[in-house]
Amino acid sequence: MKQKQPTIRDALYEAPGPKARKRIAVATVISILALAALVIAVIRRFAENGQLDARYWSIFTRYTTWRFLGYGLAGTMTAALTAGVITFFVGLLLMMGRISSFKVLRALCTVLIEFSRGVPTLLFIYFFLLVVPQFGIRLPALWKVAAPVAISACGVVAEVLRSGVNAVPKGQTEAALSLGMRRSSVFFKIVFPQALRFVVPALISELVIVLKDTTFAYIVNYSDLMQNARVLISNYDALLSVYLVTAVIYILINYILNKISVAVARRTR
Amino acid sequence: MDISALLTQYGDKYLQALLTTWKLTVFSFALAFLIGIIITVIRVCPIRPLQLFGDFYVQIFRNIPGAALLILLVYALPYLNVILSYYTCVLIATSLIPSAFCSEYLMAGMNTIAPGQIEAARALGMSFSKIMKNVVIPQALRSSVLSLTNLLVATMLTTALASQVPMNPMDLTGLVSHINTHAVGGVTAFLISAVLYCATAVVIGQIGARIDRKVRILR
Repeated sequence: MKQKQPTIRDALYEAPGPKARKRIAVATVISILALAALVIAVIRRFAENGQLDARYWSIFTRYTTWRFLGYGLAGTMTAALTAGVITFFVGLLLMMGRISSFKVLRALCTVLIEFSRGVPTLLFIYFFLLVVPQFGIRLPALWKVAAPVAISACGVVAEVLRSGVNAVPKGQTEAALSLGMRRSSVFFKIVFPQALRFVVPALISELVIVLKDTTFAYIVNYSDLMQNARVLISNYDALLSVYLVTAVIYILINYILNKISVAVARRTR
Repeated sequence: MDISALLTQYGDKYLQALLTTWKLTVFSFALAFLIGIIITVIRVCPIRPLQLFGDFYVQIFRNIPGAALLILLVYALPYLNVILSYYTCVLIATSLIPSAFCSEYLMAGMNTIAPGQIEAARALGMSFSKIMKNVVIPQALRSSVLSLTNLLVATMLTTALASQVPMNPMDLTGLVSHINTHAVGGVTAFLISAVLYCATAVVIGQIGARIDRKVRILR
């Protein structure tokens, strides 16, 4: 195993003496007891209200349940990846606009970025659900989720990409320009590839936000994980257990994505 | 509907909705900040089980989608005989999620402090609580001003969750869906809410940047 980096957690305390060690041991035991009591209290609450009954949980031993949730998960992933790809390219365009030398374009992109960052995803979803059809435009359910989620994320992605571009030393641009390279090829061949490397972890974190936002798919009736969970609930009359398992699935996926982001950040550093 | 018709018919509702969103944001952020500090203290205390509990808490609320948490609070808790008002559910959801991020930012802020400073403070004979109060916490707060500002904006965006439950008065997002399902509000109804959200976010951002310039520690 690699040596762990010393963090503030380790630096805050000196090596404890015998007295402190005893106190820490006592506190450890007490805290274990308190946490155990908490867990037992929760489990008892479940039991008292009959939520531990086999009929609520036995559905998770069936293959069909997991297959159905799997379809939902595939829907979530499709929506998240679609939104993620759109977000990346729109974010890239906004960022290029924001750093361009045309004043009007720069101002426009700055406003668009601020707008995207300052408006909640739900409002964009309602826009696509309620306002867009008023113009006679009929979008498939996938786009009613992916488009608003992408719009509300692209501002952040633009800013993340810009921070990456700013992290590339200016001297490289100057050197490339003085070698006679065109501005566009300096950007795409020298600055952007390096900038992208810097910001990959932040982009993965943004994917987590996109994935979380796709949970609102139930509003537009797109069958994602949450929507399929609702169908399961009405079929089996098991609300608490199904919602809990669904929430855990979401948490695990996002946890793994965050771990990947941290691992990538460590590798590129 | 054009903007003047909308404003005469729904003007005071918009004002009410804006105030609701602001109120929810302020309450949620205050709660999130309080919980965030407590969780951070738990995460750096020398008692291992508590540390693990703090990490677990943060991972749960960092990674759960807001809608999933709200649905659990509103629809699942009654099955455990815990019945909360819609407003309470929204407030809990919009406080717990930012509280996890708050703790993450404070931890990041603490990690900017060089371990040598703590060793120096200890060598000067400062007690643990003094080190925390005079060395660690002030610096951690000062270097996390910008991320806390972003958190305040994120909290405001999270309060749009309130539109998912019946609320009276409605928040800015709830009002737009209300107007558009009862009358044809069109793009304008949506834009008014969006601009109000956006203006709030920009003002918060400006204030945060100003505070940050004032208190930032140059290293």
